[in-house]
Amino acid sequence: MRQKILNALIGIVVALLLGAVLLLLQGYDPLATYEALFRYSLFGYYPFATTLRNAVPLVLPGLSAAIAFASGVVNLGQPGQLVMGALFATVGGLYLDLPPALMIPVLALLSMLGGLLWAGVAALLRRFFDMSEFIVTLMLNMIADFFTAWAITEPFKDPAAFSPMTPQINPNGWLPKWGEFNTMILFMFAAVILAWFVFNRWKAGYEWRITGQNALFARLGGCNINRNFMAVMLMTGALAGLAGGLVVMGGPHRFIRGLGANYAWDGVMIAIVANNGLIATFLYGLFFSAIQTGALGMELITSVPNEISQVLQAVLVLVIVASREYLNTFVEQRAARRRAREART
Amino acid sequence: MTNNPTLIEMRHIVKVYPPSVLALDDVTVDFRRGEIHSIVGENGAGKSTLMKVLYGLTQANSGEIIYKGEPVHFREPGEAIAAGIGMVHQEIVLIPEYTVWENIVLGVEPVNWLGKIDRQRARQLVKQKIDEFQFNLDPDARVESISVAARQKVEILTLLYRNVEVLILDEPTAVLTPQEIPQLFAELNRLRDGGHTILFISHRLEEVLELSDRITVMRKGKKVDTVPASATTRQELARMMVGRDVIFTTRRKPQPPGEAVLRVENLSLREDHGRVRLNNLNFEVRAGEIVGVAGVEGNGQFELVNTLMGIQKPTSGRIFIRNVDITHFDILQRRQYISFVPQDRGKMGASLVAPLWEDAIMTHHRLNPRFSQWNGLLLNTRFAQQFTRDLIENFSVVAPSPRAPFRTLSGGNQQKVIVGRELLLQSDFVLLDQPTRGLDVGSMEYIHDQILRIRAEGRAVLMISADLEEIFLLSDRILVLYRGQLVGNLPVEQTNPQEVGSLMLEGQVQSS
Repeated sequence: MRQKILNALIGIVVALLLGAVLLLLQGYDPLATYEALFRYSLFGYYPFATTLRNAVPLVLPGLSAAIAFASGVVNLGQPGQLVMGALFATVGGLYLDLPPALMIPVLALLSMLGGLLWAGVAALLRRFFDMSEFIVTLMLNMIADFFTAWAITEPFKDPAAFSPMTPQINPNGWLPKWGEFNTMILFMFAAVILAWFVFNRWKAGYEWRITGQNALFARLGGCNINRNFMAVMLMTGALAGLAGGLVVMGGPHRFIRGLGANYAWDGVMIAIVANNGLIATFLYGLFFSAIQTGALGMELITSVPNEISQVLQAVLVLVIVASREYLNTFVEQRAARRRAREART
Repeated sequence: MTNNPTLIEMRHIVKVYPPSVLALDDVTVDFRRGEIHSIVGENGAGKSTLMKVLYGLTQANSGEIIYKGEPVHFREPGEAIAAGIGMVHQEIVLIPEYTVWENIVLGVEPVNWLGKIDRQRARQLVKQKIDEFQFNLDPDARVESISVAARQKVEILTLLYRNVEVLILDEPTAVLTPQEIPQLFAELNRLRDGGHTILFISHRLEEVLELSDRITVMRKGKKVDTVPASATTRQELARMMVGRDVIFTTRRKPQPPGEAVLRVENLSLREDHGRVRLNNLNFEVRAGEIVGVAGVEGNGQFELVNTLMGIQKPTSGRIFIRNVDITHFDILQRRQYISFVPQDRGKMGASLVAPLWEDAIMTHHRLNPRFSQWNGLLLNTRFAQQFTRDLIENFSVVAPSPRAPFRTLSGGNQQKVIVGRELLLQSDFVLLDQPTRGLDVGSMEYIHDQILRIRAEGRAVLMISADLEEIFLLSDRILVLYRGQLVGNLPVEQTNPQEVGSLMLEGQVQSS
């Protein structure tokens, strides 16, 4: 635990220092830049609310990837599952008309169903044809991308619009706001808590973890590897799908071309940075969201281009992942040296 | 030979494998020019580590190495080879599709003026070396088509081709058949007479006594002594290795066996391309009986375990436990009847990165309702912790806490956790696959006591072991597997290691 926090702190400090060097080389003032970056993401009511809200489509695919990877399931289909979830929620929002208290949960469930089914395709192909889910989920991302693009240009296109997008969904399905806080963040909190609980307290979660660490041991111990694989695929698909649904219901209230952006890949990256820890994925997700959010504000008052946020992210990933292994080796080496000294005396 | 000048001195070598395994504890040893010097010790005594330090495969934490009067420090094997020290590992690393000479020159090929490999000359040079050392190898044979013993020769020649003076051999006889060993020894003797220094790692005492000029005994990372081979005996070496007199007698008390628990009928396993792995096995294991399975590795033990556990489906035949036909059960169903200690802790017996308690509760979490909450959905973690603490106490495991990562436990303690977990399943049938492989003597004795205890409880034990001594120590009955066939089913009182040994090697008892 202490080592993880140390690892994160080292990563963040080193990344910010390297970023500062880059800023200095470009002739900008790093202190002013960072001050703006964090003022527009963390310090203040509106910036903080925005950071939380932007974290949703990062954290949910991140959780999806973290649970899958930690269970030994290579689900890399979060981008496809996300847009399929978004499409399911959108279509539901276009044709259903329920009171908000029902409409919102139904659309959320629909989006989860979309992601789940899309992941289920890959899971079934693995189950019955032994096709690697690694490849299949990646390929299905392309298919989902083109399928949703077709869906919003042909059957569900807003006739009034000039570019591919659906009409707005029924306002009963719009996520309400509390002041500046969009209620989509409640779904995120709930998902984090539930996912943690399933993964760490359920018997199935225990089997998933052990399978991820040593599948043969789990199998000999009597765990049902196939059923667990299926469950992990479906659950992680649903998590990614939920992200898509929430983006639609909390934001533009329609499916616009490019809706999925780079969210899911950023989420996968966050899971890797977090070493597949669920709480760590949540916290790193918030931090990455803060950098992305703050960069927009920073650009307004300094002349620094917001691309610096991508540089910072890239450096963060490299430094944190690299220093994790180094820190482990360092701690063990130190113990070894201490032991060697004891042996000599 | 024993009065030759010193060639290598290793002084006060300390090596700790992170985080805290003390592999070499202040070892000082010298090797003389032109001697065969054996290093013996149990698994984990540090003999391989000592050689790896010398060879530059791993770095010592402190100490120094003097070679030809100069302090040296090899950061990698390449530097050691350049200085004239080479090592042949247990696993042979050659390119199967290449010929013998191609493998030997690989990396130091002679080239012509165009920079192209001069195949003629390369082959000629290898041929010369083969003749020089009388190695009886065909330089043009492809490596995939020659025997393991010949491949080993190729490895040795590869080093000789690079003009090493010191050859380190890590348990070279482990992969050889008994018939091939004398030839290797003759070649090693010839090399020694030609001025090479040979460092020979082994734990087979007869071999070591036959071959060596001097012997260094190691125990638990420390050097016990270096003695001339002519001035010691097998008993003395064994005592130095183990630290006390080794008693080769059984503590097994006579006990009449009960009714059959495991019954195997006409069990066969044929692979897709026709190779027969198990050939029509029939045997029983009765309550209160330990049945040992002897055999040279690779004669069907692995497949027997796999079919009993349900990893592989037998081609034909049936398996009964207490008259329940389990042939078509899935693994979890079988686990209600079978306790299983696999041979490879890290691969099959546990997750090394998981905390101890997660490894301790495997299988129990499905079979024991006390691990369930909320109708089987939730794992009762409090009970799991309690269960693990009890296991730690009852099986004398040394572990800081149930939450400690499994990999931080010593090998012996890891094995105790696995054995404890499996014996606590309370199944009538216990399958043990190499239950003490790689353990120190203390842990080994502890596990032997546990095996005898469950025998006294009236459970049926099937124990596969590569260690014939262990088999004779514990078994009531010995099964011998040879090429997938059961060639012996012998009550232990009516047989002896010689008979079993020849069944293992020949499939029949030699008529002499």
